[in-house]
Amino acid sequence: MSAFTLSVNGKRHLVDADSDMPLLWALRDFLRLTGTKYGCGMGVCGACTVHEDGEPVRSCQIPLSATAGKEYVTIEGLSAQGDHPCQTAWLVEDVSQCGYCQAGMIMQAAALILRKPSPTDADIDADLSDHICRCGTYQRMRRAIRRAASTVRKT
Amino acid sequence: MRATRRSFLKTAAFAGTGLLLCLELPRSMADEPGVFEPNAYISITRDNVIRLWITRSEMGQGVHTTLAMMLAEELEVDWSQIQYEQAMPGGRFKGIRLRTSGSGSTVGTYNALRKAGATAREMLIAAAAEKWNVDAGSCRAQQGTVVHLATGRKLTFGELVAGAARQKVPDNPTLKTPKDFRVIGKPLERIDGRAIVTGQAVYGIDVHAPGMLYAVMARCPFIGGKVAAFDATKALAVPGVRHILPVNSGLATGVAVVADYTWAALKGRDTLKVQWTPGPNAGFDSDHFLSQMGDQLAQRQDGYFVRDDGDARTALDTAAKKLEATYEFPFQAHAPVETMNCVADVRKGSCEIWAPTQCPEVVQSETAKMLGLPEDSVKVHITLVGGGFGRRLFADYVPEAVEVSRAIGKPVQMLWTRSDDMRCGFFHPSDVEHIVGGLDTDGRPIVWVQRSIGSNLSMFGFPTEKQQKNLRLYFNDGSPWGSFDNPYNFPNLKADFIPLNSPVPTGPWRAVEYPPTVFARESFLDEMAHAAGKDPLEFRLHLLEPGDVLKVGDAKIDRSRLIRVLQVAAEKSAWKHPLAHTEDRLWGRGVACNVYDEDCFIAQVAEVSVGRQSHDIRVHRIVCVSDCGIVVNPLGLEGQAESGITWGLSATLHGKIDFKGGAAVQENFQDFEVLRIDEAPAVETHIVVTDHPPGGFGETGVPPVAPSVANAIFAATGKRIRSLPITPGKLKAVG
Repeated sequence: MSAFTLSVNGKRHLVDADSDMPLLWALRDFLRLTGTKYGCGMGVCGACTVHEDGEPVRSCQIPLSATAGKEYVTIEGLSAQGDHPCQTAWLVEDVSQCGYCQAGMIMQAAALILRKPSPTDADIDADLSDHICRCGTYQRMRRAIRRAASTVRKT
Repeated sequence: MRATRRSFLKTAAFAGTGLLLCLELPRSMADEPGVFEPNAYISITRDNVIRLWITRSEMGQGVHTTLAMMLAEELEVDWSQIQYEQAMPGGRFKGIRLRTSGSGSTVGTYNALRKAGATAREMLIAAAAEKWNVDAGSCRAQQGTVVHLATGRKLTFGELVAGAARQKVPDNPTLKTPKDFRVIGKPLERIDGRAIVTGQAVYGIDVHAPGMLYAVMARCPFIGGKVAAFDATKALAVPGVRHILPVNSGLATGVAVVADYTWAALKGRDTLKVQWTPGPNAGFDSDHFLSQMGDQLAQRQDGYFVRDDGDARTALDTAAKKLEATYEFPFQAHAPVETMNCVADVRKGSCEIWAPTQCPEVVQSETAKMLGLPEDSVKVHITLVGGGFGRRLFADYVPEAVEVSRAIGKPVQMLWTRSDDMRCGFFHPSDVEHIVGGLDTDGRPIVWVQRSIGSNLSMFGFPTEKQQKNLRLYFNDGSPWGSFDNPYNFPNLKADFIPLNSPVPTGPWRAVEYPPTVFARESFLDEMAHAAGKDPLEFRLHLLEPGDVLKVGDAKIDRSRLIRVLQVAAEKSAWKHPLAHTEDRLWGRGVACNVYDEDCFIAQVAEVSVGRQSHDIRVHRIVCVSDCGIVVNPLGLEGQAESGITWGLSATLHGKIDFKGGAAVQENFQDFEVLRIDEAPAVETHIVVTDHPPGGFGETGVPPVAPSVANAIFAATGKRIRSLPITPGKLKAVG
């Protein structure tokens, strides 16, 4: 066991845990930030996606030992009022079904629209194809991402 | 049909018919100061907070929204005034069905909820009329108020709470006529969407009970196997690990590792040494089972006949052209992204459960039985469900958590890993279908014989010996759906079923028995149409003439509704204008249709292209046309169409579970592939609006997907693939 300082959503947290513990479980079990979901444990479903210094990463694949000096943002910290353009667009397009995978999708999409202000469907497909939604909300997700991107472009 | 064929899925002994019994709650509830609770579903407080209780599990089908819409419609409240609450078994919901299955959430609540809303509305109006000393008929409820029409006087529901609680509960409140609907039929966004997109929504896996420990299990990978011995020494030395104990309840038994947090439990599990007794099924091989099913179909004549119209044998003898084919459907996993999990807190004389479940009543009764407690002492919280698809109609993951909590005396969360979930749960049964068809000299279809073999009927446990002997019981169940209720007008039609069990635990998967039978039926119709030199869509339309009502078992299938959705699908997909091939790809369209449980009609046209060299398959567009009567939330229905189609495509293009040596081979999403966004087609949903009572739509979209895609692939390439999944490898092998 070692002590780690985790910087999450702009706050510092001291976590006393194994150095090989994935960030996912630190977020969920120690910080009780349960918006980040467990899906596969091997980085192939995207449900656990968070931002590491602004880049989308799979938190189930990041051991605590690799978190030093990094800034993490989870779905709970994506916006102060729950009004990030992706969150708003997700509601307008009524994307979520069971909703379990959606936090991971939104974190991925939020990073995409910063990198590509006018993503095409092909860009969206390429960027989100590491994620799984068993409810099949893909079509609405494309619409929501285009909508969110256009909101950002206008502001 | 509903009362028999799908009794285990759709109705319950205590479904809506006894509504008034449910409505009449103990006076004490109505007497609570400041609250008007005319029935279990509604409570209104003086501050105008209107709470609506949702009596189904939310698993993505949108029940929080749809069920609230039905209540709000009759209650006449402003949508923004509503708060929704999740119902739980027992207490005020005793006798009210909470089980979520069979695409029945809307169908099964439509009348009861409207009546509950109307009851409250009439009592609020009566309270206002009493206060104003006017006739109730001169008052109207609107947007959370009662208005006296003549004078314009107005009172909010909150102001009427005390008076309304004193009114007599009306026996037969007047329901609104559909033309007056303001909420039902309106496309509404999800009422709970914000909680989801902000990460605040609570699924089973997110529950934290004070003092809770975290558990995972080393599970026996062999179907029906057991723990022989285990050595916990190393696992107990893992920091954070508290307890190691064998678990005997549930489906996939094994050894639990209980720790302070999930990662410690997972590490403990990795270091645990367990020896397994593989048990009697260690030789089970799913490929062998497939060929066994094929052999038995060829050899056995003793299938149970579920349909025998006309004289199929003679018709086959006289047919000018005869064709036959065999179709195969593999085992399938549900693989919801939220794996199975449960939090249990067993205390002396009581127990509290938090579970993402489709069957909360079973959770409560089985837990009570297990602990020797009265049901009322078991409190079951239904959390959000991160994907149900039929898997969570089994509560096997609950007793495990209960067993561990009881043993250690603390609340515990039992979490299945992805590998547990993929290998150790229930599966959609593998199935083989054989169809023989005959055409007369003019190419008209005159005979259809469909034979099904598999463990379809072991949806809930294996058929007992008695059931196997008394095949009549199968008829009562109307199995196999899709073959039994074949909607086409063949003068000679025979359908039979041979039950053949495998040791694999099987259960309902989205659309239950329809996917394999409809894949075969709709593919073979295509084969017959091509053999007859006819257009496959026209061929279907002719076979549905004269558009009358087919009665089969308890089902009544209105063929004219199926004709209509096919016609609209033809129009919307530009069916008459074939797709042109491109330089490196072959293009084609395919059609398939189905009737889900007699009340939901669907037709789909798939547009597919196949690489000339690579044989890769791309599904570009699916036009989906449905008539399922009155639609409560068109936006929700559209979402369910997109969802069902995605589900169907996962199975059509990727999904299967193989068993080798008595254990499932696939373990995670890298070897059990599902549809991802880069393969998701454009789905165009068209709703044919009729005034029939609502039909269920959660599963309806699934069955036509595989055959419409297979038919499109045939149209593009001339290659007929008769086993799922349809892969480039299989296409290449056809040459």
